[in-house]
Amino acid sequence: MRRDDLRPAVFGTATRDRVLIRLALSENGLHVRELARQIQTSPNAVHRVVIALERAGVVVSRPVGTTRIVLLNRRWYGAVELRALLERLASAYPEVDARARTFRERPRRIGKPL
Amino acid sequence: MTLADGAALVDVAFAACTVLARAGETAVLCGGSAAAYYVPDLYQSLDIDFVVEVGAAPHVVDRALATLGYARVTEGYYRHATLRYALAFPIGPLAIGREFVTSWRTDRRADLLLHVYTPTDVVRDRFLHYWAWGDRTALDVALAVARTHAAEVDLDAFAAWTRRELAADASYDPSRIGRFLSSLQ
Repeated sequence: MRRDDLRPAVFGTATRDRVLIRLALSENGLHVRELARQIQTSPNAVHRVVIALERAGVVVSRPVGTTRIVLLNRRWYGAVELRALLERLASAYPEVDARARTFRERPRRIGKPL
Repeated sequence: MTLADGAALVDVAFAACTVLARAGETAVLCGGSAAAYYVPDLYQSLDIDFVVEVGAAPHVVDRALATLGYARVTEGYYRHATLRYALAFPIGPLAIGREFVTSWRTDRRADLLLHVYTPTDVVRDRFLHYWAWGDRTALDVALAVARTHAAEVDLDAFAAWTRRELAADASYDPSRIGRFLSSLQ
């Protein structure tokens, strides 16, 4: 993430914006390390953002093995409007959108060559 | 006010709601713990979830809950030295899906009180867990509350609410409503 990025932090911080936008582009959620890699920031920074957003009810997380998958909370009272806004904002973050497009979420058979 | 060593969820919930009310805060029992309140033999919860009606100052909540022996561990989360039940305060407002909850039931026990979701709202809340995430436990709890408190659960209001949610978010699977309602018969 560039320090001279002039785009406004709509949700308070640049990391918060990117976390939310990236989650809006995901069907099944992402674990914190992958989320951090996708928005090019540290897992610790993402973890702090996720804890704050989870407490606000905006995102939820569920354990999968030894990690946690984070996703937007579709039960939250503003979920529909938030997703629409984030999808709109994604066009201002082409680098996040581009990484999301190359990230494979669909199933892949074990052992299948790349 | 002191809590006995063997205090049950309902004892802690009444005590916490009362000390908060005396401190001027309206806290409403919600989530899985509200379900546990209505069907204690079928569902248990170790977290007692309250939403404070208007965001309370943390020091007010801290001071009120300290009189019961509860201390803040993290923001909005309190533990007792000996009791296994934790008190959790998710950020409000009270809402089930897209709709805000503006009325609730108030039960009294001697000089204690408890604000709690109505049985209809517990059914909506638990069903929404199933609807949104496919959580079968939540479906079973919604069914249990609907059966146990059949006279108090407004299924017409429930059905109308599902239609409003579906109109706002078409990605919800409508067949799950039918599964819930047919399981009730």
